[in-house]
Amino acid sequence: MEYSIETYDLTKKFALQKGFTDFLVHPFRKDELTAVKKVNIKIGKGELFGILGPNGAGKTTLIKLLCTLILPTEGTAYVNGYNIVGDSGKVRESIGFITTDERSFYWRLTGRQNLKFFASLHNFYSYDAQKRVDELLNIVGLINRANDKFLSYSAGMKQRMAIARGLLNDPEVVFMDEPTKGLDPGAAQNLRGFIKERIVKEQGKTVFLSTHHLGEAEQICGRIAIIDEGELRVIGSPEELKSTLDKSNPTLDDVFLHYTGKEFKEDGTPKHPYSERKRMMREGRRGMMRGGRIGGIRF
Amino acid sequence: MIYKKAFSFIIRDFVLQTSYKFEFFLRLFFMFFSILTFYFISKLIGGAGLQYLEPYGGDYFSFVLIGIAFSGYLTAALRGFSESIRGEQMMGTLEAMLVTPTNTSTIITLSSLWSFIFTSFRVLIYLLIGAFLLGVDMSNANLVATMLILILTIICFSSIGIISASFIMILKRGDPINMLFMSTSELFGGVLFPITVLPGWLQTVSHILPITYSLSGMRHALLQGYSLHALAPDIIALAVFTVVLVPLGLLAFKYAVKKAKVDGTLIQY
Repeated sequence: MEYSIETYDLTKKFALQKGFTDFLVHPFRKDELTAVKKVNIKIGKGELFGILGPNGAGKTTLIKLLCTLILPTEGTAYVNGYNIVGDSGKVRESIGFITTDERSFYWRLTGRQNLKFFASLHNFYSYDAQKRVDELLNIVGLINRANDKFLSYSAGMKQRMAIARGLLNDPEVVFMDEPTKGLDPGAAQNLRGFIKERIVKEQGKTVFLSTHHLGEAEQICGRIAIIDEGELRVIGSPEELKSTLDKSNPTLDDVFLHYTGKEFKEDGTPKHPYSERKRMMREGRRGMMRGGRIGGIRF
Repeated sequence: MIYKKAFSFIIRDFVLQTSYKFEFFLRLFFMFFSILTFYFISKLIGGAGLQYLEPYGGDYFSFVLIGIAFSGYLTAALRGFSESIRGEQMMGTLEAMLVTPTNTSTIITLSSLWSFIFTSFRVLIYLLIGAFLLGVDMSNANLVATMLILILTIICFSSIGIISASFIMILKRGDPINMLFMSTSELFGGVLFPITVLPGWLQTVSHILPITYSLSGMRHALLQGYSLHALAPDIIALAVFTVVLVPLGLLAFKYAVKKAKVDGTLIQY
């Protein structure tokens, strides 16, 4: 089977910035945070793969590694057969990246001007760029507002612009980082339909989508990986994952709880069991006394 | 196809710049104030500093006009590259650009093009006002030599700008290269007064700054029409700076991008 994405023990550690006191007391101590820990996944061509996890689980870091925006500490990965370190240029030629950050556009340019500019970065110029931009504006339903400034667009329109930009180079693999974040339920539902029907089924693209909405993952993804504290806990189709539980009518919530030991809140914050919450509070108080770091928070 | 890509960046920056119409016209308007200020200072000075100004034709206003006009390229280079990185980081557009096949150094270089174009436009206005309204004599100008010195100046200053941008990429703020060159060039580079005014030991500092040779060459070429042969010392000095600074700038930037990718701080500001 041909794979669009393969990762082998992919790991990313970040050096934690020292506070002033830490710097004086332990000038040579190197604190690290492992954001992604030995991730192994294989994603086939034309698959809609979802990565599910709470905020801070490592989803965005994993996407940024695969998009060549950051370098791995250990392990390796291939996107469309290209190594993310050695062939990073080729990787970027064959991928699209759709982010929810509406600030990633020039607000004082029109939608069309924005897309034409980004098209030039994908080596589309003049007539080719114009043609591709118009085609995409039609696909995302923004052709009639193309000459309005980006700052006048609604949240849903901005998100559709992000999708149009992500498809400019007709990529084989599309990375989407929480694509429905900030959208109202109707707009989010439309977008999910668009991703599944138009991008995956019609155009045959591979989509790697990160989300912290269990329903979204279950509704559109063929396979799901649950990630927590940088580690992949389990991979499979929603049905496969549910079938691993010894429970009648299990939900993805149950799957998440089973594999991570945490309940899941739709806002992406892991809800820890009561005993765990008490332990963290206790640790937090101790940390405040000794000036340490608990859960990424410096006291 | 690089020129087509460059054109896209220029169009983007032109549209963005002119969308702030008031600021755009205000910048043009206040250019005249700075020229007039130095014009009246030169009236006050008269022939007082003649022995220092003699090598440049003897007129202070002509001397300072070239100084303030062309030192703008150093400012554009030092600010253009680092501010383009910081601007894109703060606007949030850098990540979307870095995930395209266009490499980081091309993005940063092309992002600073607009500031060089705007500086060139400003230099042209300065020279036109000086020549046609305020009596600066450039009738003997050696335009070929002027263009050669200008090209070397832009490449040389850009290399310093790229080194400065490398620091910004890692440190985010507090770039020492920018501070060092901005603070020393005006004093030691001969922007507002000839370096011969300085005590001998301070003139040593002037001789290690590329702006000294750039401004000296520009003045001789534009005001006195020196031949390429007569301008050789300034041209050779600029060429040496270029040969040293270009690879240094590229290496520094390559290292900075790699470090930012390892640290995951490429888009932080």
